[in-house]
Amino acid sequence: MSWTPELDELARRTAMAQAMGGEDKVKRQHDAGRLTVRERIHRLVDAASFHEVGALSGVGKYDAQGRVQQVTPANCVFGRAAIDGRPVVVVGDDFTVRGGSADASIANKPLMAEDMAAEFRLPIVRIIEGSGGGGSVKTIETKGASNLPGGIGTTRGFWRMTANLAEVPVVGLGLGSVAGLGAARLASSHFSVMTKTSAMFVAGPPVVARLGQALDKQQLGGADIQTRSGAIDTAVDTEDEAFECGRRFLSYLPPSVHALPPVLPCDDDPQRADQMLLSAVPRERRKVYKMRPIVEAVVDRGSFFEMGRNFGRSIIAGLARLGGHPVALLASDPFHYGGAWSAEACQKVVRHLDLAETFHLPVVYLMDCPGFMIGLEAERSATIRHGVRAMAAMNQSTVPWCTVIVRNAFGVAGAAHQPAGRLSLRYAWLSATWGSLPLEGGIEAAYRAEIEAAPDPKARLAEIEERLNALRSPFRSAERFWIEEIIDPRRTRALLCDFARLAEPLRTPGPARFAMRP
Amino acid sequence: MKTLTVSADVAGTVWKIEVAVGDTVAPDQDLMILESMKMEIPASAPQGGVVRRILVEQGEAIAEGQGLLILECN
Repeated sequence: MSWTPELDELARRTAMAQAMGGEDKVKRQHDAGRLTVRERIHRLVDAASFHEVGALSGVGKYDAQGRVQQVTPANCVFGRAAIDGRPVVVVGDDFTVRGGSADASIANKPLMAEDMAAEFRLPIVRIIEGSGGGGSVKTIETKGASNLPGGIGTTRGFWRMTANLAEVPVVGLGLGSVAGLGAARLASSHFSVMTKTSAMFVAGPPVVARLGQALDKQQLGGADIQTRSGAIDTAVDTEDEAFECGRRFLSYLPPSVHALPPVLPCDDDPQRADQMLLSAVPRERRKVYKMRPIVEAVVDRGSFFEMGRNFGRSIIAGLARLGGHPVALLASDPFHYGGAWSAEACQKVVRHLDLAETFHLPVVYLMDCPGFMIGLEAERSATIRHGVRAMAAMNQSTVPWCTVIVRNAFGVAGAAHQPAGRLSLRYAWLSATWGSLPLEGGIEAAYRAEIEAAPDPKARLAEIEERLNALRSPFRSAERFWIEEIIDPRRTRALLCDFARLAEPLRTPGPARFAMRP
Repeated sequence: MKTLTVSADVAGTVWKIEVAVGDTVAPDQDLMILESMKMEIPASAPQGGVVRRILVEQGEAIAEGQGLLILECN
């Protein structure tokens, strides 16, 4: 007795899976400048590390004798693999089979990928192309009934989409046109990337045309739209860059909430003191300066990984290392409204702090915040509610925290610089300045009677301003112990590395007290 | 020749226009200084080129994303 026939059939069926939607469809994918799902997985993960699950699944065609002629593979490919030697789950849509749509899918495949990530406590990378939802409206005819969304058999898929955000790192890569459920799976991640030729939307141009909006895919949901709206974190030029981004993001994170972020050896001297820091902030208060070079100067060389650069731009958010210890970093960008917190910036802060809390990353905040955004637009966008929400995220956090006040700390948003009610470390640069209200505009309000009564109101205003300026030196605050330390900016890196060392044993694995939302 | 509209990153007012039509500018050169949230925020050239049109006036209130100037790229 030999099992040769079955062995041959296994080989034939495996080959059919490898062929995906067939030569024509693969060629079409390549002609459009996109890789196939198998090429994508191959390029994303460590060489020869992909162990596929469910390669044999699909729809088979048989001859009269019951011999298999052809199997069209299910359009979801998934399995385990390694990234930088660390195990992950990868799940990808095969666009060469029915355009990645659900009418060629087996719902249990992507679901098992999510289950596997959760139960084996492994990060999951979703490679998304197509809609992956209820299929086209044609499905109504093929199934003979209309899909009640989320209601067929089990709600487990949507449950996992939510639950995994509180369990394991979830990376979404949007490569191609992504709509419907595909868009939901992409947006419901800790970190999402799309290529600049891709597009994401709830519904694509033909559907939107019915609203009277004649837009092509790029105009409707291109990278410019989706990174500025904050639905997608990062846009890149090539698919290879998307894979690199995904790998890099994961390198800062633990495999799940049940473990701690990996500390790597560091060859950058923690005592390195960049001279540039001393002149980084202009003396003239109205002048702005570039925050990103300051960030680069204080974290481990080359370790800063920015996320969501086009959204809520008065705040810079990213991951970085200090002496090899991964941290979540927030920094103000004075080029955008002087660093003032808009409603969008507040949303960005909330999401970043939730990420830090979920994966036990200490937080470093390089602060220059003149307050919340003011004006009619700011009121219309509920800045204050998003603002207090950001404060709540900060005050509910339990991860170690260190703030460096680089320049401004004003108003309620000025108070939002450290978690209230617990100890955190805090340093002020020589350029730091703070108050309940900025002097500009504030003097006219507070000293109106005195100014109006003066023979030369303008001169009196200048006189009062000078008087108050002399009092707002941070050294006077330090005398009262309202600020613990004022530092030479060149010592920032050394102090932050010291913080990261102190924070290391305080990081506690396990689920956060709340489950992160997308 | 490709032209490019330089737009405002922030809402505010045009405080100072530092170039004139016909000027050749270098990448990153400041074209205008906007005033927003009491700060001077430069709008700079994303790439080098020649200033073809200036779309705003000194003192004018501008919206976020509003076009400031048209640059003919090198």
